[in-house]
Amino acid sequence: MNEVIAFWILSAVAVLGALVAVRKRNLIHGVFALLVFFAGLSGLFLLLLAEFIAAVQVLVYIGAVGVLLLFAIMLTERVAGDDGRRMTSRGWPWGLVAAAAVFVLLLLSLWPVQQLSMPKAKDPSEFLTQISDPGYDGKFGTEENPEFGEDDRKPVEQLGRKLMNPYVVTLEVLALLLTAALIGAVTAAQGVRMPKEDDSPE
Amino acid sequence: MNLHHYLILAALLFCVGLMGAFTRRNAIVVLFSVEIMLNAANLNFIAFWRYSDNPELLHGPMFTLFAIAVAAAEVAVGLALVIAVYRHFKTVDLESMNTLRE
Repeated sequence: MNEVIAFWILSAVAVLGALVAVRKRNLIHGVFALLVFFAGLSGLFLLLLAEFIAAVQVLVYIGAVGVLLLFAIMLTERVAGDDGRRMTSRGWPWGLVAAAAVFVLLLLSLWPVQQLSMPKAKDPSEFLTQISDPGYDGKFGTEENPEFGEDDRKPVEQLGRKLMNPYVVTLEVLALLLTAALIGAVTAAQGVRMPKEDDSPE
Repeated sequence: MNLHHYLILAALLFCVGLMGAFTRRNAIVVLFSVEIMLNAANLNFIAFWRYSDNPELLHGPMFTLFAIAVAAAEVAVGLALVIAVYRHFKTVDLESMNTLRE
């Protein structure tokens, strides 16, 4: 029951945050609404027992991406935003129609999923009833009946081991990508210095 | 809570992002709409992982972790491009960047 209430509150926060972020005229306010959306999504990740991903969401999105967006806004537009001009693009009703059509399409394709009944043992609410117990010892499942198994009790440790064993090449490629993105971002933002013609000697 | 609740929520968030990307003129708002769509996809990954038959394999968080890292790289490069475009056109209005059409 707690889980259901938490789900509805967090999804309302996420949807409202996203809507405000997309519709707000003032860009700074929009970024703050976007941060609220990221926080709501982080709560949903916690609800799905992906606590490490929730922490990464807070660190990377709320911490880094939010600050980066704020800096980009301050470096470009005036803080008040679009200074009274039209906010939406030409042909925006078509964009609205296209987004609504995609939503309907996704709902139609989700219809068979609704008929499936998911295995109860994997339901996160089991865990939530367990941690609301005062005698909770910080572990998943019980000693007699480990519903998630021994390996699943320390998911973060498992994640680290998997990053080092089967996914090590992916990790290295990702490190390369981040380095390239860093260099590329600096180069692109720095701009090209054109030599002025009247600067040439004689 | 069942799987389809999360999937419908993710579909709704994705379409909010799509709406933003389609209807706004400001390049920065379009960038954060793309971020909203990427986050909705991450929510789908995590939901499918938690309701899968063997969540102990941790495929969902692993993929989400990589997706978040790539999205962070994308937003850094995207904002650098927005700043470069602003320096060139003195605006981030997408409709005034129509050099190719003229």
